[in-house]
Amino acid sequence: MNEKWRLLDTGLNDAFYNMALDEAIAVARSKNLVPNTIRFFRWRPSAVSIGYFQSMEEEVDIKACEGTGIDYVRRRTGGGAVYHDMNGELTYSIIVNEDHKLISRDFQETYRTLCSGLVSGLSRLGVPAEFKPINDIVVHGKKISGNAQTRGMKVVHQHGTILREVNPSLMFKVLKVPSEKIRDKLIESVEERVTSLNTILGRDVSFSELKEALIEGFQDSFGIELVPGDVTDFEENLARRLKAEKYATREWNFRR
Amino acid sequence: MGRAEYKVKGGKLIRVQLTSENGIIRGIKITGDFFLHPEEVIEDIEEALRGQLLDEQKISSIIEDVLERKQAVMLGVSPQDFARCIIMAGEKNE
Repeated sequence: MNEKWRLLDTGLNDAFYNMALDEAIAVARSKNLVPNTIRFFRWRPSAVSIGYFQSMEEEVDIKACEGTGIDYVRRRTGGGAVYHDMNGELTYSIIVNEDHKLISRDFQETYRTLCSGLVSGLSRLGVPAEFKPINDIVVHGKKISGNAQTRGMKVVHQHGTILREVNPSLMFKVLKVPSEKIRDKLIESVEERVTSLNTILGRDVSFSELKEALIEGFQDSFGIELVPGDVTDFEENLARRLKAEKYATREWNFRR
Repeated sequence: MGRAEYKVKGGKLIRVQLTSENGIIRGIKITGDFFLHPEEVIEDIEEALRGQLLDEQKISSIIEDVLERKQAVMLGVSPQDFARCIIMAGEKNE
């Protein structure tokens, strides 16, 4: 019989709560309060997240964000700046014990294994996706998913994005560009380097269809059964605290 | 202050902001879209580099020592890449 993992779908939340809940689930997992978990979530309002090591001022046009009501937050994982469009993107998290058979000591290997669930899910939709080291999933060489991982408290936490549709002009409104002169060039180059489900399939793919496909992909690749569950009181309380004391603070978001 | 950025081929981007005096690192901040586990070790690396000579070999080996001591690993960048970007930033500062 397949081992059971918890499936969470936390819907639309703000950036600070989204990042806080990921950390709260990892803490709950480390204390054995919850099973291994896969979570789907989205962002309302749309938001920019930056990697742990990035500088907020260098990466994000704060004025543009504030003018358009877009949140900005630092992640607990490394990697690059990402624009999370409320309607253009689905985000997932995987929180699993470090001693699980899917987890290698080697980070690169673990990215490949955990991304195989997404690759399998996308292929069910008819999208010929492949893992591309270090941490991307591509279709015909164009990026459709970016992923980032961290470990601590004997727990592996990987989260990442799947693009439903791309909006490069909005993306470059909130992400800093080296100079205004090259903004149009960058937008063109994003169109060459990045793709989305709707572009590839030539139709509107709903979030529920995408989630169904990914659930099957994860179950099949990981040999697990995903059982829909709820955020526990412990996780909810900790997430609220982490939002207030960490992810929504200037100290955290502008620390580098 | 000197600033430099260095994109590792097939890897990630490193940015360094540095102040130095007579070839000695005074202040340093390393940012970028790389991975380093555990993440907090970035601060140990910056701390270990303050007061050190701007010498590429030396810097690289100091970073290697910190990684070993903290049992930390990098992905998408190496200590040599960090050292190279630090030297580039140092040349702009001096």
